Amino acid sequence: MSELRTQEFQINMGPQHPSTHGVCRFILTLDGEVIIKAEPVIGYLHRAIEKICENRTYAQCIPVIDRFEYCTSMSSEMVFVLAAEKLAGIKIPERAEYLRVIMLELNRIASHLIWYGTTSLDLGAITPFLYGFREREDVLDLFEMTCGQRLTYNYIRVGGVSRDIPKEFIPKCHEFLDKFQGKVDDYERVLTENPIFLVRNKNVGVLTPQMAVAYGISGPSLRASGVKWDLRVDDPYSIYDRFRFEIPSFQNGDCYDRYLVRIKEMRESAKIVGQAIEQMPEGDIMAKVPANFKPPKGEVYSRIENSRGEMGAYIQSPGDSKKPLRVKLRGGSYNQLQVMPELVRGHKVADVVAIMASLDIIMPEIDR
Amino acid sequence: MEIAAIFKYLYELLASTGLPSMLVDIIALGFAAVVVFLFLALVALFLVWLERKVSAHIQQRFGPMRTGWHGWIQTVADAIKLLQKEDTTPANADHPVFYWAPIIAFVAAFMAYVAIPFGDGLIVSDLNIGILFIIAITTFTIISLLMAGWGSNSKYALLGGMRSAAQVVSYEVPMIISVLAVVVFAGSLSMVDIVESQAKIYQWYIFRLPFGPIAFIIYIIAATAETNRTPFDIPEAEQELVAGFNVEYSGMKFAMFFLAEFVNMFTVSAIATTLFLGGWQGPLLPSWVWFLIKTFGMVFVFMWFRWTYPRLRVDQLMEFSWKFLVPLGFANLILAGWMKSSGWFNW
Amino acid sequence: MKKLVSAIKNLVIGLFTTGKHLGRHAITLQYPTQRWPMPERSRGIVVLLSDRETGALNCTVCLLCMKACPSAAIRIEYDKDEKGKRILKDFIVDDGICCFCGLCEEACNFSAIKMAPKYEFSTLNRNDLTWHKDRLKEVGLDVPYEKVARKKSVVAKPSAAAATRPSGPDSASGPAAAPDSKVDGGGEPAGEEQK
Repeated sequence: MSELRTQEFQINMGPQHPSTHGVCRFILTLDGEVIIKAEPVIGYLHRAIEKICENRTYAQCIPVIDRFEYCTSMSSEMVFVLAAEKLAGIKIPERAEYLRVIMLELNRIASHLIWYGTTSLDLGAITPFLYGFREREDVLDLFEMTCGQRLTYNYIRVGGVSRDIPKEFIPKCHEFLDKFQGKVDDYERVLTENPIFLVRNKNVGVLTPQMAVAYGISGPSLRASGVKWDLRVDDPYSIYDRFRFEIPSFQNGDCYDRYLVRIKEMRESAKIVGQAIEQMPEGDIMAKVPANFKPPKGEVYSRIENSRGEMGAYIQSPGDSKKPLRVKLRGGSYNQLQVMPELVRGHKVADVVAIMASLDIIMPEIDR
Repeated sequence: MEIAAIFKYLYELLASTGLPSMLVDIIALGFAAVVVFLFLALVALFLVWLERKVSAHIQQRFGPMRTGWHGWIQTVADAIKLLQKEDTTPANADHPVFYWAPIIAFVAAFMAYVAIPFGDGLIVSDLNIGILFIIAITTFTIISLLMAGWGSNSKYALLGGMRSAAQVVSYEVPMIISVLAVVVFAGSLSMVDIVESQAKIYQWYIFRLPFGPIAFIIYIIAATAETNRTPFDIPEAEQELVAGFNVEYSGMKFAMFFLAEFVNMFTVSAIATTLFLGGWQGPLLPSWVWFLIKTFGMVFVFMWFRWTYPRLRVDQLMEFSWKFLVPLGFANLILAGWMKSSGWFNW
Repeated sequence: MKKLVSAIKNLVIGLFTTGKHLGRHAITLQYPTQRWPMPERSRGIVVLLSDRETGALNCTVCLLCMKACPSAAIRIEYDKDEKGKRILKDFIVDDGICCFCGLCEEACNFSAIKMAPKYEFSTLNRNDLTWHKDRLKEVGLDVPYEKVARKKSVVAKPSAAAATRPSGPDSASGPAAAPDSKVDGGGEPAGEEQK
């Protein structure tokens, strides 16, 4: 008697899906409920950002680079501007450095709030999504009063920042920071010890440290696997060495640890913003950069710690031109999408959603 | 104003017309059924609005505000919209099966109200196997889920239908066991008898420690799973891959499934009220007001659960039922039986 | 057993955390009867500013905004009079292409173009998104602004070959690489930040 054979079948978790964090397509090969193979198909959000930048001056590139990773626009601009400043050897005034740090960390909080909302939405708890976005409104209001936009800021420029903060910024920021820790406590009360959340996330999608390092994963996903690597501390850029903050890291590398790392990071970012506001001096916000900014010939790679990992910009300058010759951007989500087929193998279909949400993959970084 | 007295008066009026008593009974029952049906249709519409408002305020927003005062006409607008949608049938669908699935779901949802007491004397028919009848009828929904899954001729609908049927079947068992604990104590399957055995507030089955609260909690969990609500709403979750059994339905057929779900929610709340919270007992206010207060309170609890908790994966859900709820339910049943027979806590 | 108790406790804590929001007032606004007051620096639609006394457009057709735009959304058509000075014929902004970055506002030395904090301009017809001089002027009439007090820009004059077609985002550099007195486009006075 031949043994019972089940047949594998393929399902398309298509580009239009409420839980794929952008337009990502997975072709899943299933055996019953268990996933045998997962193949990501990308390219649905390709906007040719790197090519566009080859035809824009450095200042005009910045609105374009804003859209590279629109959940953390400030980081996208920052990494590009750092590269350009490294090429040209420009030193930034102190106040501009502090302003940049404040904006970057506020942007990190906003991005983690999106992650928190979408993670709980993917798992079925719809309410924390709205709570996260309620806090995000406060952060976006702070951005809007400074630079005029809520998502794509065009704020960090070569040589400094574009505008100084208005006088309402600091009181409003203090108001936000005062209530933020309490709000994060609220978020934790709803999800962190919830038995349903625990059983969905514990031991799901375990990422070993060796696998993480081999795939080049960085950011909170790496720190949740036990590798304590944060570019703000291990390869400091800007003025991060002046602030006291902890780098959270956990041991298991499952979805639950990644959740804990990001919740802790939100709190630490709030602390950094508080310290930066205390320490910020008065002064210029923009260095003396020539109007026709032409960096010397050369190539440079700069990297920063984004909320999703290491974000890098590689600029090749031909020397006597206002436009870069080649811009290459690197986003942390690309590596995390690469490791996803490994992680989901052996899990059930519903875990694909949980794992993707916990890795915090977003498509604009991948497709550019 | 006693509604029971009104019905009694109408019945006397009908009986005095001189028709044969069998015909009088049939007409009276038919009339009662129509009244209950209309009441439930209104309740279902109200519940849809209530769900939207409760979920909105939990999320610190307003919900429907434009259609009427605080949006109370919103459900009517939605119903009109659904009525005018095109009624599609997938190609190669199994037509009779596809057609009858929502109807069976709808009918099963409403038929359970034959035996539910809305107040003192306000019951369509006081069957002496009341609760057994209700549980048997609510099990009909499984058939409609399977029919919907099969008749849609879509592998996603089939998978979704199978999963939800498995879920409902595996949560029927703990529900019945928790109900049995109460029945053992009350000594009767009739709904009216069960309510009357809870005459004082300390006699309500939810307060009869130690088996009462455990039975209540098991019942609530099983009821949430029966009505496919979070945390057990895998069959309806849009965020999951397979979209569920009603993916191919549109227009009025979809509206029937939708309304049946809300009526089911009201049914399980009504059963919880009758069995655990003392039914229509309560001081001062008329009995049907107490019944409605308690039932809407339970409905609110179910809505609260939906908007707070994430959802369980299918295998975790089944594991939870069979490995945890069923043994606990049996232990509870034995405890209840022992308590009743030995006379402990028997006040 | 301890796990069970902690599970039930945490479920109940979660319930109460969402439940306490039921007593709070909603934080959303009922648009369009209630509107959020936009901050003054908010970058909304592009408008052309006119002089408050004479009512004429402030634009001197220097073409800097056209060159600064990274999306080539601005098109300026002009004539030349006998002395070779440019006279504005039409100023066309395609709001469908505009990315609302504000570089045009920063490039302008004459407070002629601004991103006003207005945003309700959706249409049913895509051609209506292309605004001409009259519409730009009309929408910009009630937008408050401060005349820019800045040194003359060090940008080279655009050559006559850069005619009416959009020159595309090349030629002049963007305003970010500018001397630091040019810090804002009419919002706060330039002197405030330099202490």
